[in-house]
Amino acid sequence: MAEQTLNIPQLLVFIVVTVLAVRWYFSKPAGAGTRPAAATRATPRISQAQIDQISQMFPQVERRSIAWELSRNGGNVTAVTEKILSGRALETPPVSFQIPTPRTNTPSRTATPVAKAEQPDLITRYNLASKISKAPESASEEQSKSKAWSQDRNERQSNLQKRREEMILAARRKLEEKEKAKAKA
Amino acid sequence: MAATGSRRLFKEYRSLSSDPPEGITAGPIDEEDMFLWEALIQGPEGTPFEGGVFPAELKFPKDYPLAPPKMKFLVDVWHPNVYTNGEVCISILHPPGDDPLHYEKASERWSPVQSVEKILISVMSMLAEPNDESPANVDAARMWREKREEYEDIVRKNVKKSLGL
Repeated sequence: MAEQTLNIPQLLVFIVVTVLAVRWYFSKPAGAGTRPAAATRATPRISQAQIDQISQMFPQVERRSIAWELSRNGGNVTAVTEKILSGRALETPPVSFQIPTPRTNTPSRTATPVAKAEQPDLITRYNLASKISKAPESASEEQSKSKAWSQDRNERQSNLQKRREEMILAARRKLEEKEKAKAKA
Repeated sequence: MAATGSRRLFKEYRSLSSDPPEGITAGPIDEEDMFLWEALIQGPEGTPFEGGVFPAELKFPKDYPLAPPKMKFLVDVWHPNVYTNGEVCISILHPPGDDPLHYEKASERWSPVQSVEKILISVMSMLAEPNDESPANVDAARMWREKREEYEDIVRKNVKKSLGL
């Protein structure tokens, strides 16, 4: 079927491509000395994000192979993805090849949630540092008073804020006492 | 539409302030914008969350109460039904007809007869009893299932850290 529709220009293109491919293939092992230079020249084009992207899709494929493939095709993520999807094995990178940045063994996905950006604690968030040592008696009085609904908007706002602060400070005091009791025991 | 929403939110704010449920404080951050609230939820007793206070942000859509708000914790909450960015994933926050897999019954999901109070109470009981069926945080869910002690340890550490101790 394909042979029937093949014409001469197509045939020529095919031959040229084949010749180039064969030449390129055979020139590789010969230039062992020049390859590291070639690799480093190519590497700036690939980024960790690209490797990560593919690595997350195909965790079974080695990151080094992905990086090597990317560095050879100029950082084309789609092409690498298609190659893996089509079932062709990625070429094993030469020993001299190194992934651009030394962040090669990134933490596995399971570890990342624990190590993510930290949230500020409640004392910092609500600016309570100065109120930590305040006596609790007066505070509980205030709390019962502030439970009522006020007609005044500003009073409502400050009541709500008081209730929030009291809730956090009470929790902190309770936990502190518990910790102390535990330390004594 | 927005006027209906803010009137309803104001009513809910009033009833939550005059008769607050145990361990819950909630209200708009600024009454100028009734569609952005902040809530504090106490960790339920008898769970590793006990003793903690968990702040969360509630973002209401302009067509509230037809559509549910989005809720996001503002401290680290290690829990199977809380995404690592703090977003809460429970059935009451899902609009009806949004669940092609039928994990949840329609009666459990959001409808205008629900309220902020019901959401916060549901979240409180979710802290005590995670729903293992459709986890938002797969790692936390696995740990909860397989290494309960490790899970509780992380939760307790987060509680201490959030109170600045």
